[in-house]
Amino acid sequence: MALEDFAAEMDRCSQCSYCKWIPFDHIKSWRYAKNCPSVSYNNFNSYSARGRYAVARSLLKGQSGYSDKVRDIVYKCMTCGSCDVSCKVCRFNLEPLDMVRELKFKLVEEGHVLDEHQTIVESLDKEHNTMLQPKTGRGEWAEGLDVPRLFSKEAEIVFHAGCRFSYDRDLWNSVRSAVTILKNAGMDVGIMGEREMCCGGRIYSMGYRNEFVRFAESNIKAWAKAGVRMVVTSCADGYHAFKRLYPRLGFQVQVMHVVELLNHLINEGRLVLRSEIPMSVTYHDPCHLGRQGEPYVPWDGVEKKIKSQIIVYEPKRPRYNGAWGIYDQPREILKKIPGLQLLEMERAREYSWCCGAGGGVREAYPEFSMWTAAERIAEAKATGAEALVTACSWCERNFMDAIIAQRDAMKVYDIVELVQEAI
Amino acid sequence: MTMPKNIYKALEGIVGPENISDDPAVLDSYRYSLAHTAIHLGPFFDTFTPRGSAVLLPGSTEEVQAIVKLCNKYRIKFKASSTFWSAQGYPSEDNTIQLDMRRMDQILEIDEKNMFAVIEPGVIGATLQAEAMKVGLNTHIPGAGCSCSTLAGATSYFGSGPSNLYGGWHYDNLLGVEWVMPTGEILRTGSLGAGCGWFCGEGPGPSMKGVARGFIGSKGAMGVYTKCAIKLFAWPGPTTLPVEGIVPAYKTSLPDNFKAYTVAFPSWKSWADAVYTIWDTGVGYIAHRQYSMFGRDLKFAMIKILTDPTKTLGDLEEILDDPEVQKITEESKRDFQIVLAGMTKRDIEWQDKALDEILSRTGGWKVEAMNEPEINKWMLLYLIRLGHKNLNLVFGGSYDGCFGLLGSADFGTSHVEEAAEFKKRWEKRGAVVEAGGDCMMGPIGGQGGGGTCLWENFTCFDPYDRDSIEGTLEFFDACTELGLERGWGVGMEKWNSQARGPDGRIAPKEERDRIHLSAPQPDIFRYQHKIRKAFNPNDLGDAYYETLDDS
Amino acid sequence: MDKKMAQLMEIVGKTNVFDNPQMGKDFSPVSDHVTSIKPRYMVKPKDVNEVQKIVIWANKTHTPLIPLSSGGPHFRGDTSPTVHGAVVVDLSGMKRILKIDRRNRLVCLEPGVTYTTLLPELQKEGLRIAMPILPRSNKSVLTSLLEREPVLSPKYQWNLLEPLRSLEIVWGNGDKIWSGSGVFRGEKEEDWKEGLVPVWGPGPMQLDYYKFVSAAQGCMGIVTWASVKCEVFPESRKLFFIQAQKLDDVIEFTYKLLKFRLGDELFIINNTCLGYIIADKPEEASALKATLPAWAVVLGITGGQILPGEKVEAQESDISDIARQFGLEMVPEIENCSGRELLELLLKPSEEPYWKLRYKGGAQEIFFLTTLDRTPGYVETMHSAADESQYPIGDIGVYIQPVHQGVCCHLEFVLPVDLMSPAESSQGQKLFRDASHRFFNQGAYFSRPYGIWADMVYQKDAKTMMVMQKVKEIFDQNNVMNPGKLCF
Repeated sequence: MALEDFAAEMDRCSQCSYCKWIPFDHIKSWRYAKNCPSVSYNNFNSYSARGRYAVARSLLKGQSGYSDKVRDIVYKCMTCGSCDVSCKVCRFNLEPLDMVRELKFKLVEEGHVLDEHQTIVESLDKEHNTMLQPKTGRGEWAEGLDVPRLFSKEAEIVFHAGCRFSYDRDLWNSVRSAVTILKNAGMDVGIMGEREMCCGGRIYSMGYRNEFVRFAESNIKAWAKAGVRMVVTSCADGYHAFKRLYPRLGFQVQVMHVVELLNHLINEGRLVLRSEIPMSVTYHDPCHLGRQGEPYVPWDGVEKKIKSQIIVYEPKRPRYNGAWGIYDQPREILKKIPGLQLLEMERAREYSWCCGAGGGVREAYPEFSMWTAAERIAEAKATGAEALVTACSWCERNFMDAIIAQRDAMKVYDIVELVQEAI
Repeated sequence: MTMPKNIYKALEGIVGPENISDDPAVLDSYRYSLAHTAIHLGPFFDTFTPRGSAVLLPGSTEEVQAIVKLCNKYRIKFKASSTFWSAQGYPSEDNTIQLDMRRMDQILEIDEKNMFAVIEPGVIGATLQAEAMKVGLNTHIPGAGCSCSTLAGATSYFGSGPSNLYGGWHYDNLLGVEWVMPTGEILRTGSLGAGCGWFCGEGPGPSMKGVARGFIGSKGAMGVYTKCAIKLFAWPGPTTLPVEGIVPAYKTSLPDNFKAYTVAFPSWKSWADAVYTIWDTGVGYIAHRQYSMFGRDLKFAMIKILTDPTKTLGDLEEILDDPEVQKITEESKRDFQIVLAGMTKRDIEWQDKALDEILSRTGGWKVEAMNEPEINKWMLLYLIRLGHKNLNLVFGGSYDGCFGLLGSADFGTSHVEEAAEFKKRWEKRGAVVEAGGDCMMGPIGGQGGGGTCLWENFTCFDPYDRDSIEGTLEFFDACTELGLERGWGVGMEKWNSQARGPDGRIAPKEERDRIHLSAPQPDIFRYQHKIRKAFNPNDLGDAYYETLDDS
Repeated sequence: MDKKMAQLMEIVGKTNVFDNPQMGKDFSPVSDHVTSIKPRYMVKPKDVNEVQKIVIWANKTHTPLIPLSSGGPHFRGDTSPTVHGAVVVDLSGMKRILKIDRRNRLVCLEPGVTYTTLLPELQKEGLRIAMPILPRSNKSVLTSLLEREPVLSPKYQWNLLEPLRSLEIVWGNGDKIWSGSGVFRGEKEEDWKEGLVPVWGPGPMQLDYYKFVSAAQGCMGIVTWASVKCEVFPESRKLFFIQAQKLDDVIEFTYKLLKFRLGDELFIINNTCLGYIIADKPEEASALKATLPAWAVVLGITGGQILPGEKVEAQESDISDIARQFGLEMVPEIENCSGRELLELLLKPSEEPYWKLRYKGGAQEIFFLTTLDRTPGYVETMHSAADESQYPIGDIGVYIQPVHQGVCCHLEFVLPVDLMSPAESSQGQKLFRDASHRFFNQGAYFSRPYGIWADMVYQKDAKTMMVMQKVKEIFDQNNVMNPGKLCF
């Protein structure tokens, strides 16, 4: 695809601004009605999906150029996809999230990049991670764990820790626990250790499509060589990359987020949660696990019209509207932890508010990123919960940083940590 | 044209550098595609409203006032918009400053006892409704949907919608208004100006709110409304809407004091009889001819799609082939939706029984397929929140209304079939969606307590398809011709035609004068001209405020 | 005969121009709102063309015009000339009911139509009109609505001008327009059948013309006909009382009824005021005060059209239940006053003498808009002002009428005075002024600013005054329409 392929959508966007709000049916208050951090923070219409359609059109038509403001508009999008969900409450023939991504690709391809992103990409090239860390340290998180390292050993399942979990020591407990739980449940699980490479999802959301493809192909090749049957990850970004993006490149291996697998093990009785955790928590749906966590459905078709002017697709085009992401499994797990009380935030599931870490925003616009996280923390606190639980390393880190900055007492957990505690 | 630096600096000084931009890309995101509102003169394929000279995001009345005063000093046109729905919210002349009011989005007060809310421009129907429901109140949501600014609908445009019947249209509901007039002076109407609170918008003495808005508002052409009070009404339901289901097939289960029905009739005469009797009897909380917007032939099939999250438009043809769907489609040809809300158990029992009696007397029936729980709960939520309004645009991306037949129920029903048949013939030419001709949507009760209806015949087309656009415009011209020939007057398809010419800019004066001189009372526009001269001496708005100066 | 009289005679005919020395008295108010000056002439036009000619003539001759539709006695001074040489335009002769349309529940009427003549005609068609409280028998329906007098049934008032709809207006400059959807004035019977009817009030476009003539005291122009929305004449109807010793005790209950729009007629009244209404003679009123409840919510329940009996029964039960929730009781009669009898009174204009005058022959009225929760505070203020003026508190009638579906209410104090007694008259005037100022300072909204109230409100709200003057300049640039009133 190219930005030009979205020209029809740019004209067909009805400029209705649904993309700025959670689906209206779900609005429960004035305070938590908005969905798009970008336009909520920056206010100009240009920072919404609706506005970005217009900006893209303007660029394509040569009516405006690649100014600093345009870069700001394009890169200050977390590609969280909340606009996409809200748009599709009423539309079947617009893909705002895909268009916004394409806009980022276009800017990168034309060389209008951000230094902060470029630094990451350059480091990624050399060190295979987005954390600006040496690749040699990638497996340190698993030191002392009795888990096979691929390729030297074989395993049916590869556990992909992801860049953030691999290098962020504060979060190691989660991935170490994940591997331990899976092993204890009898799963044949291994890790790539220092051979693990970035999934490419983070740079994809910054606009570096070609670089993403390189990493995706490398991972696909590595896993094929390792002969794994399934990829399991605790990283929501990684999950999205493997589940939704890799299949486009021919990847066919089964992908599961650790919450899916844990829930499966609990339901099968292979994992029992016995220890009480007397705590009230609220669950934050990571964008890449929830609304962007829908499985990939191959489609190769064309647009056609029925009834003269109704736009449909031949063959029928799959519809990603966020409805079928991973929402129930983490909630089911939390509900099975004795003593734990799950409270829902006003914005949940497909209309969840983003943590603020995605799309390269955390790296390039830390203030905006922290504001976004703080908004979510305020919402979490409004439920009365003591802790905020999530299933994504990027969300967790962003929340932790925002809480530290605010000197708040809210606790943040990865869901696996609570499962480990409850066993 | 680039704005002179000194003016930009002065404006920046008012709102701060983060709240002003003249970047071309930003400005282009504040333009509206005229292919989406072909109600204006065309052809409009690939035409947008003019680019503003700067966009500002004021944060307070004081800032708005300072901007407007500066605009007067330098003779710069300005146009404020809150939620930017449709072309009326955008400038129709070059070098206009655009005010995006979204930062002023506070619900300043909800007076539970006296049943009103004080709001800023950025408050939308959905957020106001959500907050009102917490205290057992509700707000009327105009037909533009809950995504739109409540203040804008009440002060600047029309403000009519499905809950007119019980909730009053926003003309009725507008209480005190804070208005930064085109000169920068601030008028606070009614009790507000007298320092007594927001509860009354009229007076003292003759009501000067009548300068601020009439049957319709000034569409952003006469200053900026910065706050207003809106009358609310009882919400006998839970404090938050319990929403279930998978996007987009959201639905709600409400207590037994809520009922939602689709009722249909054997003839338009019996349809009108029922409507008059409903008004006379005083039943109904929301009443609207809603789903006919998809078209007489498509409406039930579309409901099947919209209530099933696994379905898409790609399933439409298959669903239409289903004989059961065809039967229901035929059965609900002359229909409307009605929601009853009982304030007490006895109230809902009486209303329910009364509706049955009305149907029995007029020969109408309840469309049973719409009582199927999944559909019924979806319909109930749809009509209460009006959060799916942009299904108007579901087919090809664009729609516009034609005819309208605004008036008493007898007026509309006398001509609806002819207008529908006329459209059906045009649909066959291929420029617009073939939907069955009768795609007429509108309130059962255009004002509080009923009395009028509106028949907006939805015309759906593809804004990316030149043939579709041009064919639509040809059809609209034909609608106007028919309307004039049949004595229905000029329909909605041309209601704003004075404000836009083929280049998206203001129509030439001669054209505007022609339109206004052909109106039943040209003097109405002459007086608007005088008011404009008196209150907007530097002429800083656009032609959406309609004037006739033929002296 | 002077030239002006001759010119007027040319317009309206010899028999319709009056130069009666008694006229000055006729147009003086019974209270002290303004000082009246005897008008020069009175003319009685027969139709809009004559009205238009009179206004054009007035502009040419710079003659002040005072439009008048209702018969006396006049209370508020709005129809009293306050400049010399004025001509009273008496519209009482334009008294045709132009159309009653049952289907659309509309009546079109001229300014001279009174409640007395209208009500039976409506009833024949199965209709009724939302009534103000016991209007004078010669009160013009159109004037009452134009002056935004409150009506007994707040639930039908979707806006403050309801049930007024389309108008024919002759502006002070002589131009004529139809406001709302008055362009569909139903001159042809086919139009009514086809539904081309004057059903809208606002507009017709971006200005709200009928708001410029509402509560304008005739300062903007002359309305020559109006369409008015009617209600169905109820087949079933009852009136109840909910009594309390303190006003505060019925406020929350009344709010609840307003919120649920239960009942039809709904107002709060004190024993004194209720006594003035039901008593035939002054001494009866005094006696009644002692037996009537200190405060009563008066509530009508109506049912019409479909299942009327069941509706009344359901509401009666519901309201009784709600009353109990507030520790109150709904009863069909109270000592010396049954609901049925009071309903009889409320459904028609006042018997003569006018109910506010029955007790002492004269009365001061003080009324304004406020919110219901603030009414007890104003009653306290009234009592303290009366106390200081040595006016008997027991004579103060209080009438609280929720308007605009309960968003606010009209609070009215009726202060009977004996105009024949200079001391009492002067005491009444003093109290009127003193209390008006106290209320004003307390946040009372004098939305219909007669007499001294106009000075108070426009001094405080200079911006509104400025806007009004600009509007006046457009519609009546020569200030021929009732000069000296409001801020003109």
